[in-house]
Amino acid sequence: MNRPRLLIANRGEIAIRIIRACRDLDVSPVAVYSDTDRMSLHVRLADAAVHIGPAPARESYLVPAKLIAAAKKTGATLVHPGYGFLAENAAFAQAVLDAGLVWVGPTPASISAMGSKTASRAKVMAAGVPVVPGMTTPAKGPDEIAAFGAKNGFPILLKAAAGGGGKGMRIVRSRDEIPAAFARAQSEATSYFADPAVYAELYVEEARHIEIQVLGDTTGKVIALGERECSLQRRHQKVLEECPSAAVTPELRARMEEVAVAAAKAVNYVSAGTVEFLLAKDGRFFFLEMNTRIQVEHPVTEVVYGVDLVTEMIRIARGEPMSIARRPEPRGHALQCRIYAEDPARGFAPSPGKIRRLRRPQGPGVRVDSGVEEGDVVPLDYDPMLAKFVIWGRDRDEAIRRARRALAEARVEGIETSIPFFLAMLEDPDFLANRVHTQFLDTWSYRAREESEEQRTAALVAAALDAAHASRTTRPPAGEPAGRGLSAWRTARPTFGVRE
Amino acid sequence: MKFRARLSGDAAGQVPVEVASVPPDFRVTVGGHLLSGEAASLRPGIWSLVFDDGRQVEVSLLPGADGVTHARFGNALVAFEFQDELTALAAAAGGKSRAKKGDVVTAAMPGRVLRLSVAPGEKVSAGQGLLVLEAMKMENEVKAPRDGVVDSVGVSAGQAVSAGEVLVRLRPET
Repeated sequence: MNRPRLLIANRGEIAIRIIRACRDLDVSPVAVYSDTDRMSLHVRLADAAVHIGPAPARESYLVPAKLIAAAKKTGATLVHPGYGFLAENAAFAQAVLDAGLVWVGPTPASISAMGSKTASRAKVMAAGVPVVPGMTTPAKGPDEIAAFGAKNGFPILLKAAAGGGGKGMRIVRSRDEIPAAFARAQSEATSYFADPAVYAELYVEEARHIEIQVLGDTTGKVIALGERECSLQRRHQKVLEECPSAAVTPELRARMEEVAVAAAKAVNYVSAGTVEFLLAKDGRFFFLEMNTRIQVEHPVTEVVYGVDLVTEMIRIARGEPMSIARRPEPRGHALQCRIYAEDPARGFAPSPGKIRRLRRPQGPGVRVDSGVEEGDVVPLDYDPMLAKFVIWGRDRDEAIRRARRALAEARVEGIETSIPFFLAMLEDPDFLANRVHTQFLDTWSYRAREESEEQRTAALVAAALDAAHASRTTRPPAGEPAGRGLSAWRTARPTFGVRE
Repeated sequence: MKFRARLSGDAAGQVPVEVASVPPDFRVTVGGHLLSGEAASLRPGIWSLVFDDGRQVEVSLLPGADGVTHARFGNALVAFEFQDELTALAAAAGGKSRAKKGDVVTAAMPGRVLRLSVAPGEKVSAGQGLLVLEAMKMENEVKAPRDGVVDSVGVSAGQAVSAGEVLVRLRPET
């Protein structure tokens, strides 16, 4: 029997997440790769792989024709886009369908209805969903932004109309900043989304970012799977997510879920999607946007609700009903730390390079979704996220203690990572008391955990031993070749076939 | 073997470190205090130390920029300079002259030059954008560290640069 094949139009961590879902469903995963990614882990874990061009995404991962040709070449009948790249590109979804393939995601009509953030507001407002004041069409120029600011007040947020993931976003605090910010936002929008359209909306200060996971299938059923707290953001990129949110009461959750399902139904939503809300300090919440794809932070929902969202997406794409009758009861608390290749001590500057040592955290309550292994090179060309540490505990306190344990257990050497940032964050009194909002990290300055006197001494002892060791081993003693000590592995060589 | 160490951010100055006995059983004096125990190395730079009182630590040593070594523990990082005694003495005797601070603008990270905002001969003021670097999907404006005149621009638009590469030189301050 031929197993169905699924082409993953993505790379890195999410490609591997989808490969795992394929394996769990006995579907054969097909990877694609650019020049840079020939030896990336997602390629090595796949059953088939197709080269799709040079390193720049616009010449490889963003070229629909190459991805569809890769599916045809390998006999893949399903296409999963992951997140980022072409995941929310309705034209790509349509091209996949036109090629006679199955798109693992919502219909092109749903994607375009929600993909244009301006049109999506109008759509959900008609369904009774509350929204933040914002422009309903892309700005024709800086003057239109200025007029919006004059009417609604500052600060305002400039966003790429075709965007997502914080790319191409700018906060504008006064009229004077508009021309430069507008030009920059347009330039980023063009380079990341091939569309310069930019619009403005009111920026609700000290709000929380709370999002609701939804899942719909082809029977017309749409369910909500609770919320995720995503208020810890830097440069509008989420860095730590939680499920559930300590700010959401059961009553509020029920209301938000009801509104999220209404928003999804307004566009006949099928597959996994996320409805994002701003939760104001006074408890009001506003629809921000709907992400018509799997989210980076989906695992916190998976571990708390006991569902596998990616396998559900594949089942639903194949025309099967979702495997759960209703929302399961939440169990415990989950945190996700996004481990980026960046240096917290140097203003979170990117830190690409070769991973010389990697020790993943393990043990109770720890799930690691990662795109790399030891020896891999983290390229400059793509998103700098290396791994997601998804931590579960019976309550928030236990999840935090386990997260500290996992972060301290991990070792990533050769490049800098955001692990020290999380170790510091998980000691912060405001974070521990859950007094956070989306601007929290703007004013939170990173300070590395203070090393102890014992650690300072141990560092110098190790450095001295290392230097002494190096000077001794440069000239091995005569008559005793290096590395010829007696070891159980060596004596066992004939039995186990250990090669030298 | 004798070494000199200087902990980053420590005003106390150099700490003498001496290895009296090498692994597995080590005896090392740090600033006059004797530490002893048993040490094992997974591979160069990665050590597990078991001190005589039973305390165990795992340390990874990594070379950082400007001759600074980083010792990484599970939850903390110690940065320090470390030299053998002879090299330390020679360096103290030499004392190299350096270009004045702010004459050279270098790339803080590897990336690609997206566009240039200045040309040689142009007057710039502190904080003014010199060029835009793109790294890992982010645009970063590189700004002038001081008022001055652009002496030369070492890169062109579209060019890939590595960390530390000279981007722009300003005329030396008079």
